[in-house]
Amino acid sequence: MFVLFWFLGDASWPYWQHFGISSVWAAEWYPYESLYGLLPAIIGTTWAMMIAMMIAVPCGLAAAIVSSEILPVIWQGWMRVGMELLAGIPSVVYGLIGLWVLLPWLQNTFDLLTGHSLLAAGMILSLMILPTIMVMSQDALRMIPTEQREAAMSMGMNWNQRLMRVLLPQAWPGIRSGILLGLGRALGETMAVMLVVGSLDRVPQPIYNILEPAQTLTSRIGREMGEAVFGSMHFSALMACGLVLAVTAICLSLLAQRKLSVVL
Amino acid sequence: MIKRSLFLMMVVCVGIPAQASARISAVGSTTVLPVMSQAAEAYHQTHPDLTITVSGGGSGVGIAAIIQGTAQLGMASRETSPEEQAKLDGKVDNIIVASDAVAVVVSKAVYESGIHQLSMAQIADIYHGKIKNWQQLGGLDKRILVIDKEASRGTRHVFAKAVLGSSHARAEGASIISGSNNEEQMIVSRSDNAIGMLSNAWLNDKVRGVDVLVDGKAIAPTIEHVRDGSYPIARGLHVLVPHTASAATKDFVQFLLSKQGQDIVKKVGYLPVR
Amino acid sequence: MKVFLSLLALPALLLPLACFLYVIIQALPALNWELIVGSDTTGNLFGDAPNAGHGLWSQISGSLLMMALACLLAAPIALSIALFHALWASARQQRLLMMLLQALQGIPPIVYGLCGLIVLVHLLHWGICLAAGGVILAVVILPLLSSNAIHALQRIPVEQTESAKALGLTSAGIIGRVWLPAAWPGMLTGLLLAMARALSETAPVLFTATVFSGVTWPDSIFSPVTSLQTHIFYLAQEGSNQHAVDVAWASATILLGLVVCFSLSARFLRRYEESV
Repeated sequence: MFVLFWFLGDASWPYWQHFGISSVWAAEWYPYESLYGLLPAIIGTTWAMMIAMMIAVPCGLAAAIVSSEILPVIWQGWMRVGMELLAGIPSVVYGLIGLWVLLPWLQNTFDLLTGHSLLAAGMILSLMILPTIMVMSQDALRMIPTEQREAAMSMGMNWNQRLMRVLLPQAWPGIRSGILLGLGRALGETMAVMLVVGSLDRVPQPIYNILEPAQTLTSRIGREMGEAVFGSMHFSALMACGLVLAVTAICLSLLAQRKLSVVL
Repeated sequence: MIKRSLFLMMVVCVGIPAQASARISAVGSTTVLPVMSQAAEAYHQTHPDLTITVSGGGSGVGIAAIIQGTAQLGMASRETSPEEQAKLDGKVDNIIVASDAVAVVVSKAVYESGIHQLSMAQIADIYHGKIKNWQQLGGLDKRILVIDKEASRGTRHVFAKAVLGSSHARAEGASIISGSNNEEQMIVSRSDNAIGMLSNAWLNDKVRGVDVLVDGKAIAPTIEHVRDGSYPIARGLHVLVPHTASAATKDFVQFLLSKQGQDIVKKVGYLPVR
Repeated sequence: MKVFLSLLALPALLLPLACFLYVIIQALPALNWELIVGSDTTGNLFGDAPNAGHGLWSQISGSLLMMALACLLAAPIALSIALFHALWASARQQRLLMMLLQALQGIPPIVYGLCGLIVLVHLLHWGICLAAGGVILAVVILPLLSSNAIHALQRIPVEQTESAKALGLTSAGIIGRVWLPAAWPGMLTGLLLAMARALSETAPVLFTATVFSGVTWPDSIFSPVTSLQTHIFYLAQEGSNQHAVDVAWASATILLGLVVCFSLSARFLRRYEESV
């Protein structure tokens, strides 16, 4: 682990030295002009993650609630299997589906120039993190002892109230760690995003425009990894992207664990 | 453990060399890739002890690989830049195995709406973002989907040099950046209003090349026009061979330049060197 | 409220099946036995070549080889980490280790690929090769395997260990005769899941281990391979060649099939372990 950080740090050191930490906010990435602003990619990554969250969290949570509270137990098992299978699908295959199914659909529905966009990336990512959120939420809900549910019913709560006031608050830590894990996955996903996001290194105009092609940190690393000459500034800049990704991922992971240990 | 012995077996299978065959790797431009790939296959038939692996990545990747010594052959669809030449330090032979034209391609719908030719100035304006709608050029009222390529791709270098003035010029009007030739071809064929840059071998029914207006004359991106030099955005397709390459490698390069190799070039759609 | 929730949950319920079916249906035109065992070195994109065929065997074997190498490298290390955790680590060290493993699991695989690129391909001059791919994948699956092994060991009832100590077994004896036999289903489950994971990782190996064409069976560990995952990536961008796209879907189906195999075996093992 330390080896990892040492390498990333060492390799990207020239980059930081030259440009300083403020370059994280610089907006232009033109390797040939020695401009290595990380901002477009960071914004892209952030948007993709947020879109993925906004789609996956409600769906996943709802699915967990439905499967553990509403449906008979047999369905729970099947859904579980379904989700695990979905989780196992390699990201390239998602990329394939995204490229050949999602993009034309987006292009036609929103009358866009092209379907490549942050929205596409977000939607594919949400598909990928849906299983994580659902499985962890389901586990969290299942761990609540039945006495709680019975106690709630005996107090006269209807189904809705029981859900909102008793079950969800108790399951919340598990749900939260599921969400954070999902965030981590969405952050690091490379292949599917690379294929659908468009690789345009520009800050979206205006900043909430998610229907235009853009760039994420992972997509940029993936695309330019082969060509950056080892040891050059371009390479260091890519390393810096990697460092940002690694640091963010570790922060997310630590956050997820701390919340868990607080409960346990 | 069962699993341990299973894996041990697999390792043994991997460790034993299949044949004592030499292996060279060719890396770089996706434009040169079809030629290299098929030539490697053909060469392997007659020289089974040489395995040639081919990968893409773009001209930039190819040249970088040769500089770093990670590949034995580099494929590039552009000239090496002064910085790259400095790094290569004269230790590499740059051999042209074919020529092709960088066609300015448009989607089928655009072509059929009447846009059959564009001047260099118009193309430059599109890529700089000054012309945004096909209507301004006589076509339908649709926004232009401007497809740019990754900055390291050879096709982009050649295109940018000829149209935008310098091989590293910015294209502010770009709507999307694609990678390999295949990817760009896919985007163009899926869209109704795209413009992009592709080698002429990638033209098909959905991806049409427009003629380029030079001095008032419309020149189509065909092999004949490359041969007589009239098409302005033509280029050589290079293979970079280090001086330290093995005899087998140099033999393969000779094969590329031989009649058989050049037949493959012709079949793919490029102009052979003779 | 229930209705609302059910509506929201609908995508989650239907999507797995929908995706699977879609991939398989799209693959049908190209999927046949010849595709799986045939072998083709030109990447079959340029359909004029005489045997531009239809072979994915080199890709399949490449993927499997990398997976095997990764597991071979990672399994012993994971086992040692788990044993360290169980035998010699203090409580604080245990917590630290678990935290570390979780954090490592979260790091995007492409970062590992990037580091592998620097260290293995460039610094050590291994070049693009199977070994580099194996090592990088091993690093990717190591946290998964380790935490799984640790959990498997933790599930062994304490009484078993205590009775073994009472009987006078040495540490090695305890490990060999009590722990491993009891924990091996759990560990194997972890291994199978890790194998499925290694099969699906594409980004780390794209530029460090695989090439586009030219390889049927690697000569040695230090030569490149082709893999199913990267093959799908290349083919996914084919615009005009319908056959290539069909092959892409077929490769996806095969890859899915392999992953499902491993995942389902893992599930069965887990059930078996729970019943035992």
